[in-house]
Amino acid sequence: MTGVNPEFVKRLEPLSADLGSACFNCGTCAAICPLISEHFPRKMIRYVQIGAQDRIMENARELWRCLHCGLCTQTCPRGANPGEVILTLKRYVTSVWRKS
Amino acid sequence: MYNPRDIIEILAGNVRKTMSPFGVPKGMVNGWWKTEGLRQDEKTLLFTGLMYQFVPYIETATRQMERYEDTTWTAYLKYARYVPSTLSGLGLAMLTPAAEKEKAARHLRNIVKVLRASGTRFGYRPDLDEYSGILLYDLGDLDNFVRHARIVAEKLQKAGVRKIITTDPHTTYALKVLYPKYVGASFEVSPYFEALHLREGGAGKKITLHDPCFYGRYLELSNAPRRILGEIGFECVDVRESGLFTSCCGGPAESISPKLSSRIGSKRVQKLDATGEQIVTMCPICLNNLTRSGANVVDLSSILAGAQASASN
Repeated sequence: MTGVNPEFVKRLEPLSADLGSACFNCGTCAAICPLISEHFPRKMIRYVQIGAQDRIMENARELWRCLHCGLCTQTCPRGANPGEVILTLKRYVTSVWRKS
Repeated sequence: MYNPRDIIEILAGNVRKTMSPFGVPKGMVNGWWKTEGLRQDEKTLLFTGLMYQFVPYIETATRQMERYEDTTWTAYLKYARYVPSTLSGLGLAMLTPAAEKEKAARHLRNIVKVLRASGTRFGYRPDLDEYSGILLYDLGDLDNFVRHARIVAEKLQKAGVRKIITTDPHTTYALKVLYPKYVGASFEVSPYFEALHLREGGAGKKITLHDPCFYGRYLELSNAPRRILGEIGFECVDVRESGLFTSCCGGPAESISPKLSSRIGSKRVQKLDATGEQIVTMCPICLNNLTRSGANVVDLSSILAGAQASASN
C-alpha cells in the first residue's frame, strides 16, 4: 500500500521549474536511457505526478544512477524535460537527507 | 553502488574547505602553465576549471572505489567525511602516478599551442583559475554549487574578466549557462576550438568524434570541432549517435558507481569502434572513461597540435 500526497509537487516547486507535468508516460525516456533499467526515469516522473513521495524516498538511490546525459530530454515528445525532473528529485532528496 | 549521500557530503565538504572536490591543494594540481610563458594582462582569459588537471586524481580514486564497490567495505565510506580534506587530498595525490599528471598537463599545453598557432590573443591567471563546482550541480547539491559558483564568479568579476576561453565541456556549461542562471554572473564564454584558424595538416586522415553530452547536446556545439577539423584536412566519420543524439561515455556515474560507469563506457566504445577510425574527443572525463573502457581515444588538442606541427615541417 502506497500513500499519495497530492501536495507533493508543491515541495518541489522551490527547487526547480522542471516537474514533469507535461509527461504522458509514453516511456520514450526509459527506452532511450543508456541505463536501460526498469522504466527509469519514466517511473520516477509518474511518482512525482501522483505524489508518491514514499516511493521516491524508498528508491532514492536509483536517482544517482542517472548520468544527466540529457538524451531523454532531447527525445521527449512532450518536452517534459525528464532529465531535469530527475535532477529536481536529486535536489529534493538531498535536502530531505540533510534535514534528517 | 556507493551511497550517494556519503559521496555528496564528502565532495561538498572538500569543495567548501579546499575549493576542490578531491581536497588536493591547487598548488599541487595546477602547475602546467609554468613552462608556457603566458601573459596575464590580456582581455581574454584562458580558464581550465582544473578539469584536465583533476582527471589523474579522479582515475586513482575511481580505481580504488571500483575495488571495494558492493563489498562490505562500501558502507564504511561514510566515515571518510571525518578525515580532514587536505589529508585525504594529499593521500590521493601520493597515489596518483606522476606520468598521468604529466599527460593531463600535455593536453593543456597542446591547447595553448593551438590557440597560439591560430593567432588568438589570450592570457592566463592561475590565481583566477578555479574548479567550477559542476559536479555538485550534477549530484543535486544546488546549495553548495551556488555557494561555490558565487566565490569563483566574484573573483573573476573583481579582476574585470569578461571574455573566457574554456578547455572542457563541463566548465563551459557551468560558466555559459549555470553561472548566469544561478548566480547572475555572465561572461562571454567560448571553448578553445570554436574560433580557430589553422593551417592544413590533416592529409585526409579519417577520424571518429565522440561528442561529449554537454558540447553535443546541451550546448549544441558539435559543428565547431567538425568545422575546424574539416578545414585543416581531416575527414570526420560519425556514428549514428553523435551531435544532438550523442551517447554518454559513462563518466558522470564514476563517483557513485565505477562499475556502472564502465558498463556504459564499454557500450559507447563498441559503437565508436565500429567505424574503424581513430576516436577523438574533447572532454577530459570522456577521454578518461572511454580509455578505461578499452578505447584507443585521443584528445582533440593532440590532433590539432599534431596537425600544426606537420604543417610546419
